[in-house]
Amino acid sequence: MNLKMLSGISLGRVAIYLILIVFALLYLAPLYVMLTTSLKDIEEIRSGNLLALPNDPTFYAWIKAWSSACTGSECNGLAPFFWNSVKIVVPAVLISTVVGAFNGYVLAKWKFKGSELLFGALLFGCFIPFQVILLPMAILLAKLGLANTVSGLVLVHVIYGVAFTTLFFRNYYVGIPTELVRAAQLDGAGFLNIFRHVFLPLSTPIFVVTIIWQFTQIWNDFLFGVVYSGPGTQPITVALNNLVNTSIGGKEYNVDMAAAIIAALPTLFVYVVAGKYFVRGLTAGAVKG
Amino acid sequence: MGHIQLNNICKSFGSTEVLKNIDLEIQDGEFLILIGPSGCGKSTLMNLIAGLEDITSGEIVIGGSDVSDKSPKDRDIAMVFQSYALYPTMSVGRNISFGLEMRKVPKAKREKIVAEVAELLQINHLLDRKPGQLSGGQRQRVAMGRALARSPKAFLFDEPLSNLDAKLRVEMRTEIKKLHQRLGTTIVYVTHDQVEAMTLADRIAVLKDGVVQQLGTPYEIYNDPVNHFVADFMGSPGMNFVECVVFNDKLIIESASKSYQLAVPCAKAIKDSGLESVLLGIRPEMLTDPKPYDDSGFVQEVCFDVEVVEPMGADTVAIGKWNDTEVQVRLSPESGEVAGEGFTLQVDTSKSIIFDPRSGNRIR
Repeated sequence: MNLKMLSGISLGRVAIYLILIVFALLYLAPLYVMLTTSLKDIEEIRSGNLLALPNDPTFYAWIKAWSSACTGSECNGLAPFFWNSVKIVVPAVLISTVVGAFNGYVLAKWKFKGSELLFGALLFGCFIPFQVILLPMAILLAKLGLANTVSGLVLVHVIYGVAFTTLFFRNYYVGIPTELVRAAQLDGAGFLNIFRHVFLPLSTPIFVVTIIWQFTQIWNDFLFGVVYSGPGTQPITVALNNLVNTSIGGKEYNVDMAAAIIAALPTLFVYVVAGKYFVRGLTAGAVKG
Repeated sequence: MGHIQLNNICKSFGSTEVLKNIDLEIQDGEFLILIGPSGCGKSTLMNLIAGLEDITSGEIVIGGSDVSDKSPKDRDIAMVFQSYALYPTMSVGRNISFGLEMRKVPKAKREKIVAEVAELLQINHLLDRKPGQLSGGQRQRVAMGRALARSPKAFLFDEPLSNLDAKLRVEMRTEIKKLHQRLGTTIVYVTHDQVEAMTLADRIAVLKDGVVQQLGTPYEIYNDPVNHFVADFMGSPGMNFVECVVFNDKLIIESASKSYQLAVPCAKAIKDSGLESVLLGIRPEMLTDPKPYDDSGFVQEVCFDVEVVEPMGADTVAIGKWNDTEVQVRLSPESGEVAGEGFTLQVDTSKSIIFDPRSGNRIR
């Protein structure tokens, strides 16, 4: 009886782990193929097995993707576009996060007439598809003289991101007791001092969440990047697309794969570095909000 | 100095009137308690004094100057919150000195004040800790320290002890009273605990539905309540209320299937009111074991069927019925042990009070 129960449990366990392992492998297979392909030379890709390990690993494809692959008529690799993306992402993430923090602080703790309506409108902004605003935004950017510029792209991403960042910060700050604000008011602190001394030190998790979210969104954006950028301001996602679609001679799968991994590396890096805060921050906001 | 005057204060949230024409004068150095059931507007009144909410109409004068339109920081008032509201990321020391920091007090002076306050409240050893590492009682002390550091004109306490366990609550209560005696600063204190109110207050203001029902010393509030609400609210176990028929200036009660006539002090007023039945209010401590007494004409023995006994240690509360209404009496623990049907109860009506059963107002 005991033995049967014991074996029953362990059999179930084995089955569960087996299924989990199979799905994990399935899930990781594309990444594996990308990595191995990027390390093979083109001859080996043509003749060999897709799943085989590289016979003679080489970084040729990585170096080419970074510095000399052709993206349309130019052949400077992804490097210039990588830095374009950095120039767009860093200010866009910082500005939208800071604005979101202030918006959230005001909407959670300094309610005014119509603040709920404003919050509702901002929330609505989260659900507007990118495609809907393409044309009006293009006209606006042209009128502002920001068409085809990095600043123009930063502006678009800030406007689009503020809806999300405000939502995050507002829901997080709603969970902070209002009595803290009152105590600080009586202590003589004003709007900014309360934010700086009371709220900011409590905000690390939600800042991390917002920064990861915004970084991923903006870095991975393709649509705004392709529509609003000029020749010298294209982000890496657009360049990756061009690189894959430009073929001189045969298709260089190894270079494509290396380029795709390069384009994805920064977001992976951010998740690995700050990932534990991501879950913590999201749940903290969810439970208290 | 810490003289606070509230003139005709009204406060509405939308169409709901929370406070109606509140007039209160709090003397410099006085300990005033605002008490009432939840939703009576006592916390709102405190927030109005602190300036955390705006008054709808009326005038608030603190220390001789009209502060009705001033922001909280310009009112020179400190508040202790129910949840303590300590800044979670700051050390205890910085929590205490934050108000001084915001008021640009030099660092050396701030440190001196923090040291003094910490000494006074015996929290010196906690100054470097974060609020999260403190027990409830310690947090309470820090919250008081934060209020003390600024030496304001007045302290506001918003149910400061309600988050503590029973034993600690009694300890801190005594401590607050000692502190008030030492500092002599005006204190306005909100609570719904009538024991706290009785023990701490110089004067108590009883609120109900945004109206001050009665303002008076604890003695006045307990012994001479103006209406049924105040009488019912103060005292534990609470006052007994029994509706009695009036007969020949006396009140008829039925106890243990026997009928008795009780003489009461305000017989003339009852007669003048012309009411056929009135509400008799009598505190449990006036219903006791038979014991020696001075005959004032208000004491008599009544047969009483005890249904339930609740020993409290120092004495025992027994529950039975008069005129089919539950009545609580206060017996010695010894007679509590033996009390049952047909218990002989001594009834002293000299301090009993009479209400109009319909309006709840006193008849006197």
